[in-house]
Amino acid sequence: MAQGEPRDEDESRRKFMLAGAGVLGACVAGITAAPALSMLTHPLRTPTTSGSDAFIPAGKLAQFEGTVPIKVDLYADKVDAWNRVVQVKIGSAWVMQHEDKLVAMSTVCPHLGCAIDFDAEGGKFVCPCHDSYFSLDGAVETGPSPRGMDALEVQTQGELVAIRYQRFRQGTETKEPV
Amino acid sequence: MQWIDWLEERTALPGIWRRFVDHPVPGGPRMRNVLPAVLVYLVVQQMVLGVLLAAHYSPSATDAWASTAYLNDRLDSGWFIRGLHHYGTSALILTAIAYLVQLAVTREYGKPRELVWISTLGLLLVTMVLGMTGNILPWDEQGYWAAQVELGIVEQTPGGEALRAVVQGGAEAGNLTLTRIYAAHAFLLPLLAVALVVGIVVLGRRAEAREAEASAKVQTFGAGQLLVDMLAMLLVAGALVATTVQTHGSELYAPADPTSGFQARPEWYFLFLYKLRMFFEGPLEPVATMVIPGAMGAFLVAAPFLDAMAGRVGRIGVLGGLGLLLAGVVALTAVSISSDAGNESYQKALAQAHKEAERARGFASEGVLPEGGPAVFQNDPEYKVRALYVEHCQNCHELDGFGGEEAPALTEYGNREWLFALVRDPNAKRFFGGTKHRDMDAYPEVAGNDEQTAISDEQLHALVEYLWQLQGEPDVDATLATQGKALWDDELDCNNCHEVDGKSEGSGPNLLGHGSVAWVARVIRDSSKPELFGQEAQMPKFGDDKLSDEQLADLAAFIVRQRGAEVTAEAAAEAAAAATKAAQAKDGANDGATEAKAPEPDDEAEPDDEAEPEPDE
Repeated sequence: MAQGEPRDEDESRRKFMLAGAGVLGACVAGITAAPALSMLTHPLRTPTTSGSDAFIPAGKLAQFEGTVPIKVDLYADKVDAWNRVVQVKIGSAWVMQHEDKLVAMSTVCPHLGCAIDFDAEGGKFVCPCHDSYFSLDGAVETGPSPRGMDALEVQTQGELVAIRYQRFRQGTETKEPV
Repeated sequence: MQWIDWLEERTALPGIWRRFVDHPVPGGPRMRNVLPAVLVYLVVQQMVLGVLLAAHYSPSATDAWASTAYLNDRLDSGWFIRGLHHYGTSALILTAIAYLVQLAVTREYGKPRELVWISTLGLLLVTMVLGMTGNILPWDEQGYWAAQVELGIVEQTPGGEALRAVVQGGAEAGNLTLTRIYAAHAFLLPLLAVALVVGIVVLGRRAEAREAEASAKVQTFGAGQLLVDMLAMLLVAGALVATTVQTHGSELYAPADPTSGFQARPEWYFLFLYKLRMFFEGPLEPVATMVIPGAMGAFLVAAPFLDAMAGRVGRIGVLGGLGLLLAGVVALTAVSISSDAGNESYQKALAQAHKEAERARGFASEGVLPEGGPAVFQNDPEYKVRALYVEHCQNCHELDGFGGEEAPALTEYGNREWLFALVRDPNAKRFFGGTKHRDMDAYPEVAGNDEQTAISDEQLHALVEYLWQLQGEPDVDATLATQGKALWDDELDCNNCHEVDGKSEGSGPNLLGHGSVAWVARVIRDSSKPELFGQEAQMPKFGDDKLSDEQLADLAAFIVRQRGAEVTAEAAAEAAAAATKAAQAKDGANDGATEAKAPEPDDEAEPDDEAEPEPDE
């Protein structure tokens, strides 16, 4: 064996050494990887945002007497990760009388989440992004939306109308709260 | 194996890996070879941890503290990641210093490793700057004040004013300071650190390969040294984890407050400079902040070349110089630590800062208002009740120099001095001068007219003690109070107007439990009750839908606290609940009638007495 050249190394010993190094290396990496995983998946276990679960006042009852839908913005206190914000817009709803009942529907399109508009001339709802059309009761008429518009819980409190705002999973046929 | 050939043809990666593990290590696997590997490990780990932190951090003056508090205190394992990143900087600095010492002592820093030496010096410097910038990012008290000092030092350099404005992003520290420091800390400096550590490894390996040619005992890197390196990394990792767990991560102080007197200290690796500066006052300050550090740096860079130039003498001189330098740094650091440890006022301030940090982070769990870090204190119930006070009471009642004069001042409401002054002159502006309740006579020391009764200070002290007793205070001088009661009942006939049974009405308020939380809550609810101030009362009735029972209780407790009385939350709530119950019972029973039976006095006695003996159910 010439000087300066590595000795003939036992291949199995070398493999063992490499494997050992691999194991130790994995331990070292695991020290960061394990807590990293727990940190990154935190939102799967704990909600990071929360809004008002209560009914939010949307306006006076008299405002919604007609059968033409009226769009109302809903304001509530919200916690967004590290921030607490007071009275911010958390969403909006279409409110109207339908078959003598007060109805509120989310403006979020169940297809891909665009904002649903009201086409006053045609008397129907339309999502401008992918041309989903909905009838006044919220049912899909044409277009890609997998389900009708999402109705929101609504109640009257004396002269006031209050709505419980919720978001629903998009792209599914059934309406599930997020 | 086919896939290896496939990969080799296209990327050459397998060959690079083979050369990596087949690299000849002269002298075989040894513990003394591990330091560059540990440097690599630490740099990589810091980068991974840094990316994780960056994924949860928001570099703006309003969000930095809140997001750091969130990632540290709320996110799973956040404290551990942040702690590991914090101590990782210290580990990197210590390892770099150890490697420098090793290179100098073994004289390996000479040809052909001069650039390894210089790269390691560079890595040390970059790491220190990374530590400095990283400390600023949470925008807590420590970060903010350290930034002020460091930017102040920058300003002292020639052309420093412009430099400070550029680094700071303006004339004052703010959003741009954080975005700029963040960009430097998260992008620029890590790139430099990686380049330097790559230099250390690659240049070191070149030198090793050449040495291996002359070495009798050579082994490939993969056959032993790699395992030894990994073992060293694991040891360092273990020490880091132990430190992080033991200290529960890195402290996050209260949010940056430009008005606080926070006593900022740099991280331990800057303490020697901090201490050094103390020896150079006034115009000489740049000697400590620039001349000496600059000379140190120049000497360190030149050391291997100086060593090589002057033979044996040169070696002794350079080693001596390096030794002195290290000893000086260690000594200054030690002096700085021990003088702080023995500095009582500093330790007190530090303890206070930790307490404030705990308070702020407690409030942060509700979320911080978008106004920014210090807005976290708006989550303080004390802040909320103060806001309530300002909204509803301040127009008429003065407190601590602010507010109207239409109603009694509430500064130190109900303490002995306040009661004393009240009886002396109830119609002063401070008391009922601005109200319609002006029927009570003054009791001066010397009577000004026939209607007034003069009483001495001594008598008045006794009377005040009796009032103090009625108020339900815990520290009553019973003898004095008895004398006071005698004056009250007989000599002064106070009982002609003021009943003290808690229910009967008189021309003045019934004074049993006056000034207690329950009594104050009743006044706030409706001061025009016959047993209180009666029909003439001008104060709005806050009980009618204006304030909730809880708000009434909070407000009453707040007012009682103005005299330094301790009111526990339970006591306040209990007292207020009793008042509510009494008020409801009464409203129900009489419904509009002016003549009313007052609530049972025992239900709403002094808060302190009620709070303590009550066991939890």
